[in-house]
Amino acid sequence: MSELKHYFAPTNLDQAVECLKDGDVTILAGGTDLTPQSQAGRVKIKQTLMNIRHVSELAGITLEGDEIRIGALTTITEIMNNALVKQHLPVLVEACDQFASDQIRNAATIGGNICNASPAGDTLIPLLVLDASVELASMPEAELYRHSMPLSTFFIGPGKTRRSLCELVTCVRIPLPPENHVARFHKLGTRPALDISKISIGIAGTLKEGILSNVRVAFGAVAPTPVRAPRTEKALEGQRLDEATIAKVANVAKDEVKPIDDVRASAWYRKEMIHNITRRLLSHVAQT
Amino acid sequence: MSVAEKKTRIIEPDTLIGKRIRKMDAPEKASGKTRYIHDINLSGQLHGKILRSERIHALIKSIDVSAARALSGVHVVITAVDVPDQRPIGVARDHFPLKVGRVRSERDEIAAVAAETEEIAEAALKLIKVVYEDLPVISNPEDAIKPGAALIHPEPHGADGSHEHLKQGTTIAHKGKPDNVAMTFDYAHGDVVQGEAESDVVIEDTFRLHYVTHCCMGVSGMIAEFDASGNLLMYSNTQVPFLHKREFAEYLNIDPARIRIIQPPIGGGFGSKLDIYPFEVICLYLARTAKRPVKMLFTREEEFLASPTRQPVLLTLRSGCKKDGTLTFRQVHTLHDNGAYTSWGATTPFVMMQTFSSLYRVPNCDYHTAAVYTNNPYAGSFRGYGNLQATFAIEQHMDMLAEKIGMDPLEFRMKNAQDAGEITGQGMSFKSCGFKDCLTTAAQRSDYSRKVQENKANRDKPGNIKRGIGMASMLHVGGGAKIYPSDGCGTILKMDDFANVTLITGASEIGQGSETVLSQLVCEELGLPISAITVVNNDTAITPWDVGVHASRTTFIAGNSAIGAAKKAKAKILAVAAKKFECAESDLDLRGGFVIKAASGEVVIELSKLLRNLHFQDKAELVMTTFYYEPPSVHQDKGFKGDVSAAYAWGTQVVEVEVDTDTGRVRMTRVTGAHDVGRVLNRLGIEGQIEGGVVMGQGYALTEELLIENGVMQNPNFRDYKLVTAPEIPEMDIAFIESMDGEGPQGAKGVGEAPAICVAAATANAICNATGVRMFELPFTPEKVYRALHGQTPKRYWTPWKAE
Repeated sequence: MSELKHYFAPTNLDQAVECLKDGDVTILAGGTDLTPQSQAGRVKIKQTLMNIRHVSELAGITLEGDEIRIGALTTITEIMNNALVKQHLPVLVEACDQFASDQIRNAATIGGNICNASPAGDTLIPLLVLDASVELASMPEAELYRHSMPLSTFFIGPGKTRRSLCELVTCVRIPLPPENHVARFHKLGTRPALDISKISIGIAGTLKEGILSNVRVAFGAVAPTPVRAPRTEKALEGQRLDEATIAKVANVAKDEVKPIDDVRASAWYRKEMIHNITRRLLSHVAQT
Repeated sequence: MSVAEKKTRIIEPDTLIGKRIRKMDAPEKASGKTRYIHDINLSGQLHGKILRSERIHALIKSIDVSAARALSGVHVVITAVDVPDQRPIGVARDHFPLKVGRVRSERDEIAAVAAETEEIAEAALKLIKVVYEDLPVISNPEDAIKPGAALIHPEPHGADGSHEHLKQGTTIAHKGKPDNVAMTFDYAHGDVVQGEAESDVVIEDTFRLHYVTHCCMGVSGMIAEFDASGNLLMYSNTQVPFLHKREFAEYLNIDPARIRIIQPPIGGGFGSKLDIYPFEVICLYLARTAKRPVKMLFTREEEFLASPTRQPVLLTLRSGCKKDGTLTFRQVHTLHDNGAYTSWGATTPFVMMQTFSSLYRVPNCDYHTAAVYTNNPYAGSFRGYGNLQATFAIEQHMDMLAEKIGMDPLEFRMKNAQDAGEITGQGMSFKSCGFKDCLTTAAQRSDYSRKVQENKANRDKPGNIKRGIGMASMLHVGGGAKIYPSDGCGTILKMDDFANVTLITGASEIGQGSETVLSQLVCEELGLPISAITVVNNDTAITPWDVGVHASRTTFIAGNSAIGAAKKAKAKILAVAAKKFECAESDLDLRGGFVIKAASGEVVIELSKLLRNLHFQDKAELVMTTFYYEPPSVHQDKGFKGDVSAAYAWGTQVVEVEVDTDTGRVRMTRVTGAHDVGRVLNRLGIEGQIEGGVVMGQGYALTEELLIENGVMQNPNFRDYKLVTAPEIPEMDIAFIESMDGEGPQGAKGVGEAPAICVAAATANAICNATGVRMFELPFTPEKVYRALHGQTPKRYWTPWKAE
């Protein structure tokens, strides 16, 4: 039995953030992780359960200057069907298309996927290679306070982030990709739907006259958090994607990751897959 | 309509057999209106929950239930001490529902609570304190048979005091076992030494089959209620109501006549509900003690942890043949991981040895199984009953032998395939046999022989996707299985004044479609539309004897029984009509709800009118009949020989795959099946049953595995236990071979288990065809395949071992 005593459904951000002040609050958005996790006893529902689904400020996808803002409550289905995302961030659509099942995508939110901080979180890898940042809101005094941090510094461990208990993730912001931007995502599981990655890979950069620059590489399910891969990025930066480079970079990637054995895959297999899929994705990019 | 026109009305012949008939329970299920056991609540009902072991193998030093008993809302808390009349349960009577003194596996039941709500019951479990003393864990059957291995069921010693309050008996649960061997099976025909001497080619390999479980959508559950006189009413999902009624009576030490079992619609069985499990008996104890109805429902996690598994098997097969393709011998040794207790899994050799001895003509066969105790989950019966495991080994060896002698694998199989009229070394008599038709049909429809060669030629071409095609065939009982002294089923049939029929059958419906098929068979005899029938099949107080849903027997056995009752009703009706219309009975027939002239189809009288005439007269009569069908099969002798089934089902499946050599992922693209089903009764039903079975076989082959490490289940959930999902299901082309079995109902045979049997074996052959790499261990998950492709899978060899 949980310690749940209060249920609160705020209708604006001020109310939501104010509720978080005392810290003893479990936040409910889509509930697709919270429900099974709490029923299995892995997550304890705290004294207050706050349903943020009625906070309209947390919803929607908008173009704000040279950034796309995706509200924390946006569902995976909404992201997949959004014209702005389809046009500018196709790699995110690709990841959403491999996210769980239709039913779960209809309820699961991007804010939930981020705060859940799974090393295998499906949207996190494309968000990392797209240089996304998260915006957090809190109410230290009487006023609403917002600040942002790069997603790449947000995760600190499985299920652990830099969000403090009195903060709420309000949105992610993704800079509009520049001209000649390419990005690819691959998720490897046992089956094509309803699966947790054995590994996942995102690669992005600017491809001009066969040269890849401004490279971003991220790996999922090979470390306690989704990670950027600086050595692999460095090996790729400014390179022409010929066969020799691709082979070399795939080896760098394999050496860079330090995965573990678990119920989904062995460390050995994960390293092999990082190598093979990196090679495959780079070949696809080269053929762009 | 004028009188003249009415007199000349003709009813054209029509049949229900082979038609696509909607399952009778489909509308209720599709609209969510079916009331499963989950939806049944009795007034005054309590909720039961079980405390399971926190250890894998340990002595129970003490159990303190005082805090649980003190919790408000808790009615009953019981441990073994509170049920001094506990009797051992299970196929070998080797465990008590509530464990006494010792736990032997993760699922072991230590205490149980009945409380006003599920939440209170859960909270009470958390208040129970158990002190354990750990014992060494045996998690590998090979370790269990080593000399000096720790014993799972040692003789009880006075020092631990655990059995002191129990009467000494003769069961394993009482007196223990001096070794870890739970059961052995030894079978032979011919002379394998001689057979080997005559062989040009001999191969020997070890195969390893893994743990999977049924994953019924409806989790296990029951409700038990004792009335004021001590009579027991159970709402149960059992597949075997009559035998279990008797067994429950034994466990409660009451007269079986005082037990009534009602089966609500069952959300999947597949063999999982063929044994009595501790939770069922514990629920009875709770209800008896509480004097209130008690409902017990598993959580999904509990369903994984505490329901039976398919039998894991380690198997070494030695096979030989001559250069001309004649099989010479087969020698088989298996080590069955029995788990901590014995359920039906240990008896899968009954089926496995049939496949080894009789799927193909083998003049010499030698078969040995030892089922040994470990601290792992225990295996039960599961659709196919050992045949998936046996077929996996045999059909790979068929490909390997063919390759060795340079013969086309189809031709090699055709040369050794059984024909109608043969009696095998094991004494099985194949009165109808469509095996060769299955082989050629599946091969032709899949273009097997051309693709085998083409894929081989393409193996070393560039690209990471390799295509493969593989074949496997199966033999399974299709006319019941006489594993008990009786394999019979009874039917009661009654007709009302409006020519509606009520079919009261002993056969249980577990989603397989038996209600619909039995209705078809009855309506076919009586010339009635399917809408004229009501089926009653779920209450032991009403329905006649049956030995349960297993061995693909229901269509065959219950079908023949239903036909028997319908024929008697028809004979009575025609006799009455013949008398009334002064003609011979043989001149008349029933069709479209009318008595007609058999030759012309001309209407004689409306059937409902005739029935009313019969009823409302001076010597009033009703049409009510009974029939009991016992198949002409025999109980096997002590050497496991005998014609155990009244008919045998055959099938060939061809599986096509794409193997991604970068990842090891195997995509099943197409399955071509040809099944000897005797005759198609309900085309829609049999298509669904075959397709469902193929998908179950696909999961066994590719994705499903219960991961057990040191006795601990690592993935008791649908996130990490990976069932096949819709996008993975291959294209299917299923052909039916209608061999018209002489004993079968309308010529049909049972096929419930058949479609799941060949898939894994055919997949192994397909992967080998695609990549040149042969895999001996299931499942073919991406990592396992990738490892094998990169030479990272050491070839396992298990030295044949036989219990003394």
